[in-house]
Formats: sequence, C-alpha cells, structure tokens
Amino acid sequence: MSHSNIFLKSGFINVPLKNGIGRYVGQLQRVVLKFCKNNGSSAGMREFIETELVNFAKSNPGVVVYVKPRRHKTAVIKAEYLNGDSQWLNCRNFTKEEIQKWLELLKRQQINHDGQRIRKLWHTDHPSIQGPWTPFTFRDPQLNLATFPDERLSKSDVIASTSQDELVEMFKKQKLKELQSAN
Amino acid sequence: MSQLKRVQQWATFARVWHIYDAAWQNPFQSAELLKKYLMGMHKPIYHPMNDCGDHVIVINTADVALPGDEWKKRVYFHHTGYPGGASWTLAWELHKKNPTMVMKKAVYNSMDRSLQRRYTMERLHLYPDANVPLNLLENVSNQIKQLRPKPKRLDEYKEEEVREFPKLIDLPKSYIVE
Repeated sequence: MSHSNIFLKSGFINVPLKNGIGRYVGQLQRVVLKFCKNNGSSAGMREFIETELVNFAKSNPGVVVYVKPRRHKTAVIKAEYLNGDSQWLNCRNFTKEEIQKWLELLKRQQINHDGQRIRKLWHTDHPSIQGPWTPFTFRDPQLNLATFPDERLSKSDVIASTSQDELVEMFKKQKLKELQSAN
Repeated sequence: MSQLKRVQQWATFARVWHIYDAAWQNPFQSAELLKKYLMGMHKPIYHPMNDCGDHVIVINTADVALPGDEWKKRVYFHHTGYPGGASWTLAWELHKKNPTMVMKKAVYNSMDRSLQRRYTMERLHLYPDANVPLNLLENVSNQIKQLRPKPKRLDEYKEEEVREFPKLIDLPKSYIVE
C-alpha cells in the first residue's frame, strides 16, 4: 500500500451476524439499474435487461430489482444492502458479460468494501508454530563470535581474476613446462 | 498481550546495526545497497508504512573511489537562500572539507524524496576512518559485504613477494628511479 491510500477508511473483511454459519441471509436488498434508451454507452446494459434480467430476478427472489430509464445519462448500478450500505457502480460502455459479472459480485458480497482499505490481505486458521520472522532467524551462527569490523566478513563475493592473476598463472605454467622439458 | 507475544513483537521489530567498509568502493553503488538496509527493505516484514529500518555504520568514507573523472567533474550545489548565495563545489573540494559528505550525499540522493528520508538518514553513521565510538561499535552484529574486491597496494606486499613477481621487461638502469 502506498501513502495515497492512507486516508481511506480501513477495516477487515467480515461478515455481519455470522452469516452463512447455520443459515444464510442474502445481504443484497435492492438493486437499481439505470440506463439510457438511446445512448451507445448503455448498449450493454440494454442488452442485459432484454436477455438476462428476468432470469436474474427469478433466480434471486430475495433481491428487489428496479429498472430506471434515464435519458442521456450513463448506465449505473446501485446496490443497497441489509446493513444500510449502498454501493454505486458506473457501468459506462460495459458489455452484457461485464454487467453480469458485477451484479454477481454485488449479490454475493456481504458489505460494501468500496473505498475501504483492507488491513490484512491474508488469513490463516493455522498460525505458524515457529512464530513470525525475526532478524535472528536463519542467521549465520559464525557471526555470534565475530568482532566487528572484520576484514574477512567484509570481503566481496566478486571473484573476477585480474590481469595480474593471469600473468602469474602464465608464469607458473611456463615454469612447469621448463621443468618438464629439463627432465 | 501475553509475555511471550510481547517478546516476539520486540524480536521481530528489533533494529540491527550493520557496519560497512567504504574503502575503495563506488559511493553511488554502495548507496543503493545501504539504502535497502536503512529502510529495512532487506527484511521479509518490509512495508512502506512499517518502521523497520536498520542502523548502518559506514567506515573509511575518506577512501571512497569515485568512477572515472568524477572527482573533477561532479559538482555539488548549495544555496544559502540569500541573493547571490549559490555555490558550486567540486567533489574533490567537498571531500577535502568533509570526507564523509560524498557518501552522505550519495545515500541521501539515492532515496526517494519523501518526509521519511530525513529520519532514515538519522540511522546512517559515517566515519572517515576506522575509528568508531565504542558505544556504537558494541551494537554492531552484522557486516555488509563490499561490492567490489579491495585491491592491494604495492607497499602492502612483502618485499619477498615483490621480488619473486615475474618480470616482463628488463628496464635500462637510467629508467629506474632510485
């Protein structure tokens, strides 16, 4: 997370009233689809209403579906939840599939998390036995006895041979050859 | 919070002191390395809003090696704020005035311009030579490896080693300075 998110309302992903344990109550109360009858940016929404909306309403009897034609306005979905939250979604130039996807999200989510910084992106039912990391885990035990600063510990990992090293190697080879030819 | 949990918290966020030998090292490449330790970017718990930076002691800053002709060409700008208060100092001049300044500026400039930068710099301790106050040195528990091998000077070799080194050319006597 960056500093730009610092002023967002923060929280954890949670479920109201332990929903889903024992019984499930759909939290989406009402969904309002607004669109324009003429404008191209609402084309996907119109297609969705023509082909899929009745199926959606039939398969979700717990959700009230409103359709509001709004002249020369961008297509919009507004979802209202049992806890009083409402989420507004701009659907400009959305295709039918995209609207279907977003409606599915709005239907399934428990709370409006829009504009909220989620404090922890992870969750575990089995916390680590070893415990969290500390600077001392995986540390080389040799360092416990070292006195600082230490010339050997400071030595770089780079092992490029210099021209001087090569020269010495060549000299040694030459010496060996001379010895062999002498024998 | 239980006793154990509290100790665990202290251990995870413990500040470690590192030492780094800047002799014969490029200060700009070193700065990129030291910055990570100062900001805590080498830790798995790193997060920009997490105060987990370590302390770094840099020794031998007087012996830093600038690349190419940077000693002559690099210019440090300062403005007092008054009209005509601008001044330009060459790297070699600055190094003469304060042998830790080149390293300090390199680390400072390597970090992003943010409000946190000044506080991060407070965790950097620079010394021109190997003389570090003992109260700081006793905190040190890790040494950062140098980026490049430290060359050995001719006067650091034993006389025997110099004598036995393979000779390429026999220079005439008039060439050799006594």
